[in-house]
Amino acid sequence: MEKMGTGIVDGETGLYRKMIEEIQDYAIILLDKDGFIRNWNKGAQKIKLYTEKDILGKHFSIFYLPEDIQSNLPQKLLNEATESGRAAHEGWRKRKDDSKFWGSVTITALHDDENNVIGFCKVTRDLTDKKISDDRLRMSEERYHQMISEVQDYAIILLSPEGVIENWNAGAEAIKGYKSSEVIGKKFELFYTKEDRENGLPGRLLNEAKDNGKATQEGWRVRKDGSRFWGTIVITALHGKDGKIIGFSKVTRDLTHQKAAEQKLAAYTEELEIQNSELQQFAYVASHDLQEPLRKIQTFAELIQEHYDDKEFVKRYFQKLDSSARRMAELVKSLLNYSRLSRDKEEKDSSITEVNLGDVLNEVKQDFELLIEDKKAVINCGPLPVVTGNQMQLGQLFSNLISNSLKFSNVAPVINIDSRIVKKEQIENAPKTLSAHRYHLITFEDNGIGFEEQYSKIIFSLFQRLQRKQDYAGTGIGLALCKKIAENHDGLIFATSGLDKGATFHVYLPVMEGAG
Amino acid sequence: MQKIKRCLIIDDDHDDQEIFLMCLNRVDSDVNCLTADDGVEAVAMLKSDSNYTPDFIFIDVNMPKMNGIECLKILKNIERLKYTKIFMYSTTSEASFVKESRNLGADDFIIKPSRTAELKDKLARIFGIVSVVSK
Repeated sequence: MEKMGTGIVDGETGLYRKMIEEIQDYAIILLDKDGFIRNWNKGAQKIKLYTEKDILGKHFSIFYLPEDIQSNLPQKLLNEATESGRAAHEGWRKRKDDSKFWGSVTITALHDDENNVIGFCKVTRDLTDKKISDDRLRMSEERYHQMISEVQDYAIILLSPEGVIENWNAGAEAIKGYKSSEVIGKKFELFYTKEDRENGLPGRLLNEAKDNGKATQEGWRVRKDGSRFWGTIVITALHGKDGKIIGFSKVTRDLTHQKAAEQKLAAYTEELEIQNSELQQFAYVASHDLQEPLRKIQTFAELIQEHYDDKEFVKRYFQKLDSSARRMAELVKSLLNYSRLSRDKEEKDSSITEVNLGDVLNEVKQDFELLIEDKKAVINCGPLPVVTGNQMQLGQLFSNLISNSLKFSNVAPVINIDSRIVKKEQIENAPKTLSAHRYHLITFEDNGIGFEEQYSKIIFSLFQRLQRKQDYAGTGIGLALCKKIAENHDGLIFATSGLDKGATFHVYLPVMEGAG
Repeated sequence: MQKIKRCLIIDDDHDDQEIFLMCLNRVDSDVNCLTADDGVEAVAMLKSDSNYTPDFIFIDVNMPKMNGIECLKILKNIERLKYTKIFMYSTTSEASFVKESRNLGADDFIIKPSRTAELKDKLARIFGIVSVVSK
């Protein structure tokens, strides 16, 4: 001790000693080789709050927290300084009033001429303010990383300039199904469909982000399990301080549900458009087909008045008037039937049952019993299937087709009804809307007057008639009704014929799968 | 001497044919009027007899097989009918039909009235105006 004291203090000039004493920003403490405090400057007093009188002769571990003392940190630092000449450490230290400060400490070993350690110079700086701001920054960065990694609704991915995945968050895992260990290091093309990869979409998007700063796109992407999702993607180029691209951030959102809702809306709109055009057709009909008998009734009434004395004339025109009124009633009834079909479609679920078409045919035959007898008609029929559908509508379908065959005939009608199962692919010109795999094809073949092939489509339009009213009665609604019923059942109807060759109506209704 | 006027009415509705003939007869008994039950029959009639050139043709719009507009198109392409006055004759005046028939060269679009007086009045004007011109 004494040796050290004289070695340093006595050997220095007063000015040099003053310099150390007056330094305020650093605590400069002289320790003996065992760590006891031998000297104390103003800086030490300012940082640690002890006066020189309080502290001289105390062990320097007085500044350390209990846990550091327990782990023997003060002695460890002295040992390190003894061995390597110097020890540096940063950590919380204690002031006289027990408040803490963040100290940056350097302990330097002091040697005598024989290189024996004779003491230590301990320089401490109070870096509490810096520590606090560093901690804040670090915490803010940690929170930021945590925020990105835990966001669930967005896949936020960091890509290298070459498009290699470098980072992966919880949202990416939730949306795409891969764990981070499965994708980090792979190229982001992984999430694109085969077609998009072949068309070079991923590369194009990176180039666009390079050129414009960012690239946005919506499209189908592929999950780990191969399923697809509708993603909206923003790729943003990340630039270093020198302006060079150091990577890309890629933010993806799964909008599959929204896309589905959008598609549903589009389908709904389309249906509305169809309904709207049907309504327009309806309005046209109301203005024309209903007005026609009404106009005639007015004309006939006027003529009857004018020829009141001509008994024959009056009788003939009363008959005409009556038949016009009857035709109008028939039209109103058919129109109601037709409009009811749209309503029934909305109530679809409640009215769908298993329907035995054999029973349906028998009921229709009973309804037409008198006419069949009158016309000496023959109806031949093989076994008919059971389908799911609306009993009332299917009854109407059979009724309209059989009534047409009975009506449009100049000889005794022969109607052959047959049924077989066909695959959807076998149906010629099948509309895309057909969704079942297999269909019952039920054919109604007759020996009636038929029609020319060119009319095979328009006969299913509302109020299209091929025959003059005086030759064959009818409203021009029956086949339009049949078409609507077939469509309501996810089915199809079309007709083939030749003039005077009879007509064949082909009705397709879905097979109840599982029930055969 | 006044030439006998020739007229053709094309209508699938026999009642309407009858009413038309009745009114025309009241207006001008010197008109020789033939009837056709639809466009197909009328076209066949006009094409098979090149001596038959009506002065007036009335075409119903809503007819089976060939509607009035189709029929008008074909008649307008028959060279010898170029001085024939062609009128559309229908229960309703659907705007698109009226426009289309005008574009195709129909002289007028007549709505079938519920009062015979109205039809007689229309026919009188049509036949009167033409008889002045032909003189």
